[in-house]
Amino acid sequence: MTQQYDKLSPDAFKPVKVNNKEAEQIAKPSLNFWQDAWLRLRKNKAAVVSIFVLFLLVIMAFVGTHLTSHGVDEQELSRANLPPKISWLAPIGIADGHAKVGGKDVDLYAQKNVKENYWFGTDGLGRDMFTRVWKGTQISLLIAVVAALIDVVIGVAYGGISAYYGGRVDDIMQRIVEILYGIPNLVIVILMIMVMEPGITAIIIAIALTGWIGMSRIVRGQVLKFKNQEFILAARTLGASNIRIIFKHLLPNILAIIVINTMFTVPTAIFFEAFLSFIGLGLQAPNASLGTLINDGYKNIQFQPYILAAPAVVLSILMIAFNLLGDGLRDAFDPKMKD
Amino acid sequence: MKPTEKLLQIKHLKQYFNEGKANEVRAVDDVSFDIYKGETLGLVGESGCGKSTTGRTIIRLYDATDGEVLYDGISVHSKKSKKELKDLNRKMQMIFQDPYASLNPRMKVMDIIAEGIDIHGLAKNDKERKKRVYDLLETVGLNKEHANRYPHEFSGGQRQRIGIARALAVEPEFIIADEPISALDVSIQAQVVNLLKELQEEKGLTYLFIAHDLSMVKYISDRIGVMYFGKLVELAPAEDLYTHAMHPYTQSLLSAIPFPDPNYERTRVRKIYDPKVHNYQPDEEVKMHEVRPNHFVYCSEKELEALKAEHL
Amino acid sequence: MEKILEVKDLELSFHTFAGEVKAIRGVDFDLKKGETLAIVGESGSGKSVTTKAIMRLLPENNTEYKNGQILFDGKDILKLSEKEMQKIRGKDISMIFQDPMTSLNPTMTVGKQIMEPILKHQNVSKAEAKKKAIELLQLVGMPKPELRIKQYPHQFSGGQRQRIVIAIALACNPHILIADEPTTALDVTIQAQILELMKSLQKKINTSIIFITHDLGVVANVADRVAVMYGGKIVEIGNVDEIFYNPQHPYTWGLLSSMPSLDAKDEKLYAIPGTPPDLLSPPKGDAFALRSEYAMQIDLEEAPPFFKVSDTHYAATWLLHPDAPTVEPPAIIIERMKRFPGSRYYEAENGGNHQ
Repeated sequence: MTQQYDKLSPDAFKPVKVNNKEAEQIAKPSLNFWQDAWLRLRKNKAAVVSIFVLFLLVIMAFVGTHLTSHGVDEQELSRANLPPKISWLAPIGIADGHAKVGGKDVDLYAQKNVKENYWFGTDGLGRDMFTRVWKGTQISLLIAVVAALIDVVIGVAYGGISAYYGGRVDDIMQRIVEILYGIPNLVIVILMIMVMEPGITAIIIAIALTGWIGMSRIVRGQVLKFKNQEFILAARTLGASNIRIIFKHLLPNILAIIVINTMFTVPTAIFFEAFLSFIGLGLQAPNASLGTLINDGYKNIQFQPYILAAPAVVLSILMIAFNLLGDGLRDAFDPKMKD
Repeated sequence: MKPTEKLLQIKHLKQYFNEGKANEVRAVDDVSFDIYKGETLGLVGESGCGKSTTGRTIIRLYDATDGEVLYDGISVHSKKSKKELKDLNRKMQMIFQDPYASLNPRMKVMDIIAEGIDIHGLAKNDKERKKRVYDLLETVGLNKEHANRYPHEFSGGQRQRIGIARALAVEPEFIIADEPISALDVSIQAQVVNLLKELQEEKGLTYLFIAHDLSMVKYISDRIGVMYFGKLVELAPAEDLYTHAMHPYTQSLLSAIPFPDPNYERTRVRKIYDPKVHNYQPDEEVKMHEVRPNHFVYCSEKELEALKAEHL
Repeated sequence: MEKILEVKDLELSFHTFAGEVKAIRGVDFDLKKGETLAIVGESGSGKSVTTKAIMRLLPENNTEYKNGQILFDGKDILKLSEKEMQKIRGKDISMIFQDPMTSLNPTMTVGKQIMEPILKHQNVSKAEAKKKAIELLQLVGMPKPELRIKQYPHQFSGGQRQRIVIAIALACNPHILIADEPTTALDVTIQAQILELMKSLQKKINTSIIFITHDLGVVANVADRVAVMYGGKIVEIGNVDEIFYNPQHPYTWGLLSSMPSLDAKDEKLYAIPGTPPDLLSPPKGDAFALRSEYAMQIDLEEAPPFFKVSDTHYAATWLLHPDAPTVEPPAIIIERMKRFPGSRYYEAENGGNHQ
C-alpha cells in the first residue's frame, strides 16, 4: 500500500515556536466551590421552586398576621365556626361561605350576618384562622430555626472536639453520646416540660437537648475523614496552630455538610414541635403553632375540616420544601454522588 | 560536591502503633541513619514498609515511640517552646504524595502558598505577601494569574508544584518529599523531578526522597536506603546500590523493576526474596555493617564474612 | 493473524455540566488473536474510556457515541442491546480493574464470585462450577485453592486479590481480556508476579489482551503491539520494538526520554512542558503541538493523518510527510534508534551505515 499525500506548501512545514507558558494557561473562568454549587443548584428545578415557596411562606409568616384586621386571639362568638369565604372563588362554588348544617346547605355568613370575608374561616371561638395559621407558622419556624441553630452549635463543637482531639477525649465523649442516645427522647422531653414552664423556650430546649447528637456524629465523621488528609498535615508541618487548622482548614470543608444537615434538621424540628403540641405537651393556649392548630382542628374534622386543612397544608408544604431544598443542596455540593 | 556535614541524625528511631496491644504494628523498628547537608537521600521499599512513617516521624507529625532525631544537633522530639518549634517548622518542610488531597480545596492558591508566610509572619504587608507568592509561583513554573484560582482547576502536576511552592515559602533547609511523583503521569514526573533538582542546586536544599519507583530514586538520590518491614536493610551510595546490591531483598526489588526496553525485559530474571534464607539463630546479633565504603547492610557476622568475600 | 476486534473511527463525547468533553476523537485499531496490545497514555488521554466503550460500561445518560464502530465477531458492539451485551461481558470479553481492593465484593466468598460468571454463561451444575473455580484458583497460582474458595476478600493480600480478579475474568475463557492498569496499585515485586502470571496464562489459553497502562516499563514487558494515545487520539501504533526503538511521534519521544535510564546520571531529565489539552475545547490541529518543540505551522492548522512507517507501524505526525524537513530526535531516542534495523540511525554491530 502506498500512501498518496496532498502536496502541501513549504510554508506549512515552517517550524513554529510554541510558547510553553501558554500550555499552562487555564481557560475556564475561576469559580469557587460555592459559586460552582450555586450554578448546579440553579439547574435543579425542585430546589429552586422550594426556595421560592419557602421564601413566600417565611414572608407570609411575618406579613400574613397583619393582612387582616383581626388579632391572633381576638375572640368573637358571634362569628364562630365560619367556613372559608374568598370573594373571587365564591362564584365557582369553592370557599363561598356555605356549609352543611343539619343536612342543608346554608350560607353561614348570611345566616350570622357577617359582612366580612374570612379567607380560612374562623374557629369555634370566632378567631380568624388566616391570622392564626400565619402566626402558627411563625412560631413553628422560630422554634425550628432556633432549635436547629442550637443543634448546629452544640453538634459541631461536640463532634469537632471529639474527633479532632481523638484518643481518650473521643472515647469519653462518644460514651456520653451513646448514653444520651439510649434514653428515649420523648421521655426526656416529657420530663423537661414537666420541670419547666411550658412554652416556646421549653420546647426549644426539649428539641435541642437530643437533636444535636445527629449533627455531632456527622461532624465527627467528617473531621475524622479530613484531619489526616495531607493538606491538614501540610498545615501542621508549617506550624499552624490548632485554632488555625480548625477554622481555616476543617470548618470550610465541612460547612457544606453542616448546611445540608441543617436543611434536614429544620423540618424535623418543625414536625417534632407539631407532634409535641398535638399530643398536648407543646405550646399552651392561647399561643398558636402549627401543631396546636392541627390539634384544635382535628377535633372538628367531621364538621369543619377547614380548621385542620389550612395548618396541615402549610406544615406539609414546609416539610416538602425543606426536604427538596436539602436534597438539591446535597447534589449541588457533592456532584460525585449523583453522576 | 562531597557532603560531609551531618544535617540530620536519626538514632534508633522506633515508631510503634497500638503499642503493647495485640495489634501492635512496628512501623519503624530501630532505624538509624544520617542525612548530610546538601544531599538527597532516597528511601525505598514496598507499601507498608514504614518509609512514609519514618518521614512523618522525623518531621514530628508523629511522636516517636523511642529513639532520637537530631536536626543540626537539636533533638526534634524533646519538649520545646513555641518559638523553638516554629524555628524547626521553618527549617524542615514536607511535600506530599497525593496532589489532590494535599491542597485545601476551599482555599485559593494564593492563600495556600502564603500559609507559611502568614504563620511565621514573613511578610510585613499585603503587598509583600503577594509579591512573595508571585515569586514562588514563578519559581515552580507557574504564573501569577494562577494565584487567584482554586486547586480543583489545576492538573496533578501543577498541583504538585503548588505544594512545592507552599513548602518553599518558609525557606526551609531540609525537605521531606513523600512519594511526590508516584501519583503523576510519566511526562509530568520528569517536570517535578527536574524542578526539585534545580531547587536543590539553587538553594542548597537537603532532601529525604521517599518513593517506591526505584528508577527515579536512583536518578535523584546521592544515597539510597532500602526498608523492609520497618527495618533499614541496606544503605549505600546510589550507584553502588545498583551495581552491588547485597541484601537479598534489595536484589529482589531491583530485579522486579520493569524497564522501558523490550530487549532488556525479555531477558530480565526476577529474584524472589524469602526471609527464611537468613536463618538467623536466636543468639545471633543482626545489625548494620559497613561492607564496602559507605555501603551498609543489615546482616549477621556470618553473613558479613560472606558478603565481604564476595564484594571486596 | 486473524483480527478479533476492530475499532473503527470511534468518536465519543461526555455531556457534563461544564459542556461537551470530546473524550475520544477518532480512534482506529484492531486486536489480533492471541496478542497483547498495550495502550499507553497519560490520564485523560482516553485510554480507559476506549476500553470502557468496548465493554459498553460508560454511563448511558451522558455519553454520546458520535461516530464509528466497534466490531466484535462481525457485530457492532455499539448497536447491541443491553441484554445482548450482558451475554458478551464476562464470557467473550472480560475486564480487570486497577484496584483489587474495590473490584471484589467484600460480602461474598471468593469461590462464589468466581462461580458467578461460570453459572451465568455456561450451562453447568453448581458442583461442576465449584470444581472449575478451584481449577482457576490453581491456575492463577493460589496455594490450597480448596480451602481458599470459602474465604472472603479481606482475608487475602493485594496481590492475591488481583489473582482472584484475574481468575474471575478468565472463568469463561474469554476471547478478549481488558486489563485497565491491573498492576498500578501493586508493589513492584507483586507487579512482577502478576505480569508473569498474565503472560503465562495468555500462552495457555490463547486470549487476546488489551493492556492499559501509563508505565512504559510494564509495556516493554508485556506488549506485542503498542498504541500511544494523546488527547483522545492514537498518535502512534506499532510493534513493541518499533515503538521503543524506532519511535516517530514527538510525544512518544517525549514519553521515552522522560524516564531516567539506568546509566544516565547527571543529565537533566527531558520533561514534556505544559499540561495535556483540555478536551472541552481540544486544539484544532495536532493536540500535542502546543507542548512540542518540533511543532510546525501545519500542526496548528490541521490534524495529521496516519503516516505509514512500516506495514505494522503508523504514526500521526506531519514530520513524516515526504515534504517535511528532517528533524533530529532527542539524543536518548537516537541512542534507541541505533539499535533498530531500518531506522535511519541504525548502527550494525560492526560500526554501521550511520547517516
